[in-house]
Amino acid sequence: MFKKILVANRGEIAVRIIKACQEMGICTVAVFSDVDRLSLHVQIADEAIGIGPPPAVESYLNMDRIIQTARKTGADAIHPGYGFLAENAAFARRCEKEKIVFIGPNSDALELVGDKVRSRQTLEKADIPIIPGMKGIVKDTSAIRAEAQKIGYPVMIKASAGGGGKGMRVVFDEKELTPALEAGMREAKSAFGDESVYLEKYIQEPRHVEFQVLADNHGNVIHLFERECSIQRRHQKIVEETPSQALDSGLRTRMGETARKVMQVSGYNNAGTVEFLLDKDKNFYFLEVNARLQVEHPVTELTTGIDLVHQQIKIAAGEMLSFGQEDMEQKGHAIECRIYAEDPHNNFLPSSGKILYFKEPHGPGVRHDCGIYSGWDVPIFYDPILAKLIVWAENREVACERMIKALDDYVILGVQTSIRFLRDLIGHPQFHKGNTTTSFIPDHFADWTGEKDSEEKRRLALLVAAFDSLTGPTSGKGLKTAKKEIYSPWLSLGKWRLGGK
Amino acid sequence: MEFEFLLNEVLQKISLEKKEGFYIFSDGEKTYEADIQQISPHQISVLIDDVSFRIYTARDKDCRYFLIDGQQFVIKEPTEQVEGFREGEEKTSEGTLLVKAPMPGKVIKICVSVKDEVRKNQTLAIVEAMKMENEIKASVDSMIKEIHVKAGDLVDSETPLIELEPL
Repeated sequence: MFKKILVANRGEIAVRIIKACQEMGICTVAVFSDVDRLSLHVQIADEAIGIGPPPAVESYLNMDRIIQTARKTGADAIHPGYGFLAENAAFARRCEKEKIVFIGPNSDALELVGDKVRSRQTLEKADIPIIPGMKGIVKDTSAIRAEAQKIGYPVMIKASAGGGGKGMRVVFDEKELTPALEAGMREAKSAFGDESVYLEKYIQEPRHVEFQVLADNHGNVIHLFERECSIQRRHQKIVEETPSQALDSGLRTRMGETARKVMQVSGYNNAGTVEFLLDKDKNFYFLEVNARLQVEHPVTELTTGIDLVHQQIKIAAGEMLSFGQEDMEQKGHAIECRIYAEDPHNNFLPSSGKILYFKEPHGPGVRHDCGIYSGWDVPIFYDPILAKLIVWAENREVACERMIKALDDYVILGVQTSIRFLRDLIGHPQFHKGNTTTSFIPDHFADWTGEKDSEEKRRLALLVAAFDSLTGPTSGKGLKTAKKEIYSPWLSLGKWRLGGK
Repeated sequence: MEFEFLLNEVLQKISLEKKEGFYIFSDGEKTYEADIQQISPHQISVLIDDVSFRIYTARDKDCRYFLIDGQQFVIKEPTEQVEGFREGEEKTSEGTLLVKAPMPGKVIKICVSVKDEVRKNQTLAIVEAMKMENEIKASVDSMIKEIHVKAGDLVDSETPLIELEPL
């Protein structure tokens, strides 16, 4: 087993990994950029080394610096967490060369699953279901018509040069094909100067369902069931749960076996996730492999009882999996909410600043993976995830209620967060029914404003502000009798802000 | 006693009087008799008509934050308001508009040049914060008078970015 692990990450995931190492009796090295000197992961690690300026390219993505730090501290392995260098094949290769263990897949597998074209070819040969589509670009409409027949309606027309929805058309039957094709080509021409289009199977009411896989270095590959991550905003997952409401045990077994096969064919080892799209008729299609520990890994841990970070470390150290597929069992229901520093009332813009007060929820079945504390400044340089709130209960209904209660009890003052939005989301009747698809947020929360102006709460806020002024340390603030000061000549200069420079 | 506060940038006038251990609150429309107890520096308990409210509070300079039933309120001391301008803009003494950074971040791109005429909602600059790009747009049709920053600059919230002369 390793003696010392360098954790090449920050925030909640660095904290999570450092704690796992400490539980296993392994020493830890945290790395930090200048702006993260006071971050939580730095405080809890056994050693902490500064690796450069705040921009990630100069610190958390700086391979030389991180390898050098591992050498200097005598770390025998590096855990990359998620993001940053986690899926960087060049970094994995570099570690291999330097004889430092990269806690993740081998560099060949990492390179293969990261290459969309090559992995698609490999997996098609192994009969893994992939979203049917045209391989080449054809400009001749009769050839496209034949292809549509082969793929099966509904099909989606996509611009070859495109993106952003330009030139995209959904076609439900053959009658609609010609006019849609003409319109799509016209739109593609005017948007990209290139009229070529191609076809892909249109996935109706898709759900995002992924399978967690563990593969040791001795050829054992098992899956730890699914996570449903359909609730996404701007392609970013925000709520994840397991089990998925869309799967029965037969489909679960088939998808799980497919996920195992994907990893076997790719020569994959360590922890990884196979992502699928599931359509309304329960057809599933391979999307991609996430070659890392994922943000949403805790829901799998709570329902299977297996600590994925411990497993990652054991696998990387060369140990064999101590359990087989038949030992795997899903118990109860788990939901995760990602807590972001962002302002749901202001187009979800990131919110930075000082966390003035922070109180985390507690209780049976409540887990909180957290990278923050009261008094900490949220920096502007990185992903705005602050923490993850995860609940477990014997069934989905109780898990939903438990999550709502935990979100109600969650206090963060100073920066804006998504907590209130998440509470309304989990409380939505369609979420309750399990009707979760990737268009859930555009369908139900496009115009969400929250209870922005509940009169009663506004009065309460003013009441406590006045109370605070009467009794608090800065008593007298806001008092009308003190207004003489406020009408000073300074103010006639223009808009005046408190605390401004 | 009379108080004036800014809640969501709107001026609110209220009164609060202490009377026999209770507080009498009024905003002209409603009057409450409340029992208010400070439990800790960050927690206040309020009882109104036998209903209990748990309120969390924190302070940063002259801003006070209150969390009531999951909703955060930011209350400031009153200041003189200039109507008709967007948050993050400031009217200068010459009648031009100073567009400021909405949050600390890095200037990715300046999309205009001095003397350009821009339409309302046209993008002036892109500022990146926390891996997200934010477009800074013109609030009115105007001419670009001056550009105070360049691509790559790190800016604080309130840093002047661009000066506009409304047309």
